[in-house]
Amino acid sequence: MLIQPKNEPERYEGVETRVQFFGVLLLAALAVLCVRLWSLQVLNLSEFTALAEHNRVSQTRLASDRGLIFARGGVVMADNRASADAVFVPGECPEDRLNAVCARLAEITGTAEKWVTTEVAKFRRSPFTQIIIKRDLTKADRIRIEEHQHELPGITIIVHPQRRYLQGETAGQLLGYLGEINQNELDAWSDEGYSLGDLVGKDGLERQYEHVLHGQDGYMVVTKYASGQPQLLTDKSGQPYIAKRDTRGHLLEKEADPVPPRSGKPLHLTLDLGLQRKCEELLHGVVGAIVTLDADTGAVLAMASTPNYDPGVFVTRGHDTERTDLLMGGNPNRMTHRAFREIYPPGSVFKVLLAAAALEEGAIKPGSTFFCPGHYELPGGSRPWHCWKHSGHGTVGVVEALTFSCDVFFYNVGLKLGVDKISKWCHAVGLGEKTGLDLPGEMPGLIPDREWKAKLYAGKDPSERRWYDGDTVNLSIGQGSAAATPLQSAALIACIVNGGYRVRPYLCEEQGPKKSERLFSDATIKTVTEGLRKCVQQGPTPPTGTGYLAHIDGIDIIGKTGSAQVASQSFQDKYKGDEESIPYEMREHAWFVAGVLDRSPKIALCVLVEHGLHGARAAAPYAKEVIDYFYANQGAASTPETAAAPDAAAAKRE
Amino acid sequence: MPPRRLDVQYQDVSLRVFNWRNLLRVDWLLSLMVLLLAAAGWVTMYSASRSSDISYFNRQIMYFFLGLVVTVVIVCIDYRFLVGLGPLMYIAAVLMLLAVLAVGTVAKGSERWLVLGPFRLQPSETTKLVMVYALTWYFVKLGPRIRKLHWFLLTFIFAGLPIALILKQPNLGTAMSLTPLIIVMLFVAGCRVWHLAVVVLLGLSIVPVMWWEMHDFDPDTPREPRGFYDLKHYQKMRVYAFLNPEYDPRGSGWHTLQSKITVGSGGLTGKGYLKGTQTRLNYLPEHHTDFIFSLLAEEQGFVGAIVVIGLFLVFLLRGLSFARDCPDMAGTLLAAGIVTILAFHVFVNIAITIGLMPVTGIPLPFLSFGGSFYLTTMAGVGVLLNVPARGKGLLIG
Repeated sequence: MLIQPKNEPERYEGVETRVQFFGVLLLAALAVLCVRLWSLQVLNLSEFTALAEHNRVSQTRLASDRGLIFARGGVVMADNRASADAVFVPGECPEDRLNAVCARLAEITGTAEKWVTTEVAKFRRSPFTQIIIKRDLTKADRIRIEEHQHELPGITIIVHPQRRYLQGETAGQLLGYLGEINQNELDAWSDEGYSLGDLVGKDGLERQYEHVLHGQDGYMVVTKYASGQPQLLTDKSGQPYIAKRDTRGHLLEKEADPVPPRSGKPLHLTLDLGLQRKCEELLHGVVGAIVTLDADTGAVLAMASTPNYDPGVFVTRGHDTERTDLLMGGNPNRMTHRAFREIYPPGSVFKVLLAAAALEEGAIKPGSTFFCPGHYELPGGSRPWHCWKHSGHGTVGVVEALTFSCDVFFYNVGLKLGVDKISKWCHAVGLGEKTGLDLPGEMPGLIPDREWKAKLYAGKDPSERRWYDGDTVNLSIGQGSAAATPLQSAALIACIVNGGYRVRPYLCEEQGPKKSERLFSDATIKTVTEGLRKCVQQGPTPPTGTGYLAHIDGIDIIGKTGSAQVASQSFQDKYKGDEESIPYEMREHAWFVAGVLDRSPKIALCVLVEHGLHGARAAAPYAKEVIDYFYANQGAASTPETAAAPDAAAAKRE
Repeated sequence: MPPRRLDVQYQDVSLRVFNWRNLLRVDWLLSLMVLLLAAAGWVTMYSASRSSDISYFNRQIMYFFLGLVVTVVIVCIDYRFLVGLGPLMYIAAVLMLLAVLAVGTVAKGSERWLVLGPFRLQPSETTKLVMVYALTWYFVKLGPRIRKLHWFLLTFIFAGLPIALILKQPNLGTAMSLTPLIIVMLFVAGCRVWHLAVVVLLGLSIVPVMWWEMHDFDPDTPREPRGFYDLKHYQKMRVYAFLNPEYDPRGSGWHTLQSKITVGSGGLTGKGYLKGTQTRLNYLPEHHTDFIFSLLAEEQGFVGAIVVIGLFLVFLLRGLSFARDCPDMAGTLLAAGIVTILAFHVFVNIAITIGLMPVTGIPLPFLSFGGSFYLTTMAGVGVLLNVPARGKGLLIG
């Protein structure tokens, strides 16, 4: 085929320049690309390599076991069990079946369908998120899910270790509880391998020894596809492993050998579980605390407080309302361990310290006597201080004063010793300061002195800031502003029992005993001991002491009662002879401290019953039972009763 | 066999429309570049297809050979004949674009296809080529009259119609690729520079307008465009994602972010063939089509990327040299037009993969997977090769 060419226009002048100009533009444009490539691939290589690595590999955590907690004699108090969560990956489920599967899932796991669908909708943008539908599945749930697996594409069961408390409520407050890590903890412990969602100790031993008990999580590194998530599964023995294929069926490559998780270290407690349980049983129905120490070492043998709680409610399914109630406090507060987190006026228990201090300082001699007419008046004063026995004790020495708890004797001794020396000796034995127990939240108590009063009334009239003899008189019988924890009182009596050494109470064996220099001479200890021994003696000869209800034939027990006023004397007087009608909150706290001298180990104990009225009647019988139980069951920490307990505790939770 | 000289004399009086001898005169350098780029494309496509679908690789090779047939045919046809057909092509293209608007099927939200039996046509792809011929025809007809303002302005009406139809699809990418074509061809055709400068400046002034339209853009609440000048929500979304890749990095910003990571992690010499993790693990979607350059840069590194850009540069400059050396206006304009279109694709595609521009569907010649575009590219190669093949000393004086 041929056509006739038409006249074509000539090229105009300068067309070549224009084409060349365009060529230069093109060159410049491609040069820009090269510069940018250089900047991305050469100058910022490390940054992008890191980002690509972050994409490529997935580090899957292998949860570690929390360290076990053992009581004395190897009784397990806390261990771990395998807990299974039902996890749903929406991206693995065909889009058109998603709603149906959600509904079925809700039905099978017994969760609200609305909750499941909203939860799934939340992750619409990242459908390969592992959504936990139900934590801690029951065996029945698990079987049901496995049976219906084919109807539930996208659902997997992932197992991880979960804390288990085998002793139920026993020593619950001491163990403390676990809770999800919060932001502050996460920030503070960032380089210790914690991550969001971890359970950490929130209170008690779990908190105190968090870094001992917490294990090091291991990890496995596998390739991760843009779609699909590696799945963590556990084999029959509970060992975690990574599934060969991810949720989308991509074959996963192992990037490195897995780093196995390291369990937390175990904790061995000095706690005698049988005794602990006995103490808690004794306190059942009242609000109070019992502390039993090994007098020579300070090891805590039992430290009970009622009402108590089961830390298991924080780590088992259900119990939501119970958890909330616990955390909300309530009255009486079940989270407060009354042995070291609550302070009470020490009352007559304080007389033990005062007697020992006065003897040691030489303010009184073992033979010194004062006359007790039933009341005491300061020179020039108008207000009388009463002895609890209004008819008076007559002429008493220090032994009798301790035996019968004569207030007037100690008013005199206190004044003679003076507030400064009292305060000095208080701090020497550990009153008014923390004992150093290895649990969080210990209260220091309070021993008032000149400085404290001046500070309290700072800015007020100087007359109010001054320390008066009246203040000393109040302090002498452990009233006024004086306050101590039952633990401090137990440590005080331990000091007498062990011959004059201050001991530091401890719960964890690893702490080991810690003793002070000897504080009191043999003579002092001998005199005080004699008074306290007579205090628990039963009549008719020698005369019955205030603590006679703690008397056990054949055991050398010393003791001291205490009744700490919470209301004014005049208020008390209104109910004279009719103590039963005093309102509960206004009743005196009942104290009883005791020690055993002729057994090994020597023990020191303190019983406190809130608003129990009289130490002699409300507290001393408990001390007797504790001593009785302890020496009867000594060395038999793991009785059949203890062994049966886990099942009982578990059954109770179910 | 008559001597070749006779052939020339023969052509002095008339023109052979189809002359297979043109094949003997094809430019070897440009052809070599085409072969090298195609080979680079296959190598890269093989890697891409391993992590998606091996058929991409096979089909890409098939497209090349199909395209080669188109190239050969076009080389053999005298371009002046084809330029003469310019207006017819133009009318046909406009009709096709209208048809696709009426009965086309939508794919991926924007591109429209015309399904003709077993074939699926993308009329907007062929329109690129048609526009080169139509504009060449128009400028050749006008000659020096292009320096007159009204003729100059008429160009925009002439070229604007298909662009408007493509925008209506909506296919912003293709419409955008036609804009530099008009500008460059006007420039080469010899328009007044200040005419062009005013138009370009006016065109650029749309940028602040669109910028203003973005000011109240909320990615979470789709809103109808305010007027013809306003972008659609999904288009704004891409601009927004480009400017704020941290917004929803799993959604719209994903491409830009992951492409930068892919390219950047390649380093100087790359991660090695078939060893690109970003692409193999599907972190970068579309790595066989619009983002294939990222795959190349990841596996072959800066060196590989520069080599391919260098091949493109030689290819494009060689094509431009045809425009410069061609003695007639038609050949000059054709070559310049084809180079403009291919250069636009090369530049914009790579700029997107390295995060210099927001994501728009612009494929990379010879490397990206896609039949329609490959055929268009190879046809463009044919047009380019055709220019000097006819030209060599055989021009009618």
